[in-house]
Amino acid sequence: MSGLPKRILKETERLMSDSPPGISAAPKDDNLRHFDVTVAGPESSPYEGGIFKLELFLPEEYPMNPPKVRFLTKIYHPNIDKLGRICLDILKDKWSPALQIRTVLLSIQALLGAPNPDDPLANDVAQNWKENQSAAIEQAREWTRQYAQ
Amino acid sequence: MDMSNHPLLASMDEPPPFPANYTQLRRLDRSVVCQICKEPFQAPVSIACGHSFCSSCIRSSLDVLKKCPSCNEPASEGSIRRNRALEEITDAWEESRPIIHELAQPPIVRKRPAPESSSKPSSSSNTKRLKPSSREASGSRSQSPTKSRTSNEDHVQLRQEELLDDEEEEDDIQELTENDEAPCPICQATLPISSIPMHIEKGCPPPKAKMNGAKKGNQKADWRKVFSGQGTTGKAKDVEMKRIIKPNYSIASPADLRAILSEYSLPTTGDKAALTSRVQEWIILFNSNLDTSHPSSISALRAKLSDLEASKRRDKEKGKDEMIAQLGQKGGLQKYAKDKRSEFDRLRQEIIERDKRRKDEEEGKGGRENAIEVE
Repeated sequence: MSGLPKRILKETERLMSDSPPGISAAPKDDNLRHFDVTVAGPESSPYEGGIFKLELFLPEEYPMNPPKVRFLTKIYHPNIDKLGRICLDILKDKWSPALQIRTVLLSIQALLGAPNPDDPLANDVAQNWKENQSAAIEQAREWTRQYAQ
Repeated sequence: MDMSNHPLLASMDEPPPFPANYTQLRRLDRSVVCQICKEPFQAPVSIACGHSFCSSCIRSSLDVLKKCPSCNEPASEGSIRRNRALEEITDAWEESRPIIHELAQPPIVRKRPAPESSSKPSSSSNTKRLKPSSREASGSRSQSPTKSRTSNEDHVQLRQEELLDDEEEEDDIQELTENDEAPCPICQATLPISSIPMHIEKGCPPPKAKMNGAKKGNQKADWRKVFSGQGTTGKAKDVEMKRIIKPNYSIASPADLRAILSEYSLPTTGDKAALTSRVQEWIILFNSNLDTSHPSSISALRAKLSDLEASKRRDKEKGKDEMIAQLGQKGGLQKYAKDKRSEFDRLRQEIIERDKRRKDEEEGKGGRENAIEVE
């Protein structure tokens, strides 16, 4: 038997057999705690049409501790910095063991549809977003075309 | 891509889900599942907000964060209550599930002349989920812990009443000095008065009368003793089926932790971190085992603990393998050397100093060669 908790196996199986729309996730061959993830930009957002790559890692304490998630594709978003780190409450203090990979990825997709410049991680992007929203959105569209297609 | 044949997923054996048109049955199926482990409840308990989880799941969760995983309400271990009705419901549902599942199959099966081949595999995998034989077996093997537990609870209540009486009588108690012995107000163990506060702070460990020092056995031998049924103290002792009170890990010494472990005949090897995590895991396993009407035997719990430690070790070693693979890659070694530069420098410095010390000592005293053997 592998040392992997049954919950992780179960989640993985369900993620692969019945993934939420616009989201795919599959574990790496050599490490079932390490997932390759893609998230499609939500409709009528500046990220529409883009496919964003992410990596997700389940720490040893999962599900007591949250998974670690990072964008690999460059993205212009006030809550995602240039290293791909994500500012999302459920990945930090609002984590609960009742949440799972699926809910985390859906939340990230929702974050793309609703950027929150009042709780920024990338300060320059947030500044731009607040001062000149239409220019910022255009920039996000441009980056999506450039890096996510 | 289809990953359902992934080699690492091969061990999955899930009971088949209900057909999508039976939404009520799917809902029922979900309602007996713990939100933490996503499995049917094992030893279900409720907490103050009314949400229920497996006893061991919520205990591990509250060790990390004192909140309800479902609603984020503040929660504490003290509010955990055994949920007997939910356990009965879960058991009853698990037992009837294979039958209802069969009834809920679309009728196409009956047209075919071989109905057995289609019904058999599903029922066999259902029995795996149910595991009635293992539950019953482990239940009968333990020394009827449910009974002894209730009597213990009564005992605790009795003590509390005694305690109240004591407090009322406090006025006419004669004066005592610090060196006199007195019973601990919580566990009634007789101790020198001056050591009682520390004793309570540590969660009332039994007074160490015959602690034969902090002996460091080797782990293998310890586990072997565990499985051969004899404790580290030599004789197999009856473990009291009473909730273990958590020690205060920040002030507990390794010897305190070893005392707890040896009380339950568990291995006492490792540094403080290893001992702490072993005690933590054991308390979760042991205390949650008291929240069910099919408790496992103590030896089954010990085996579980050993499995847990082994799988954690494997996880760590796997990380090591990955690192070695990374080192083999182009540039991996340089990167590693760069990352660990300060560590390498420190080690080099240490070796230089040690050699110097050794040299000095050899020159100073030629006759005492063996005294500075370094392992």
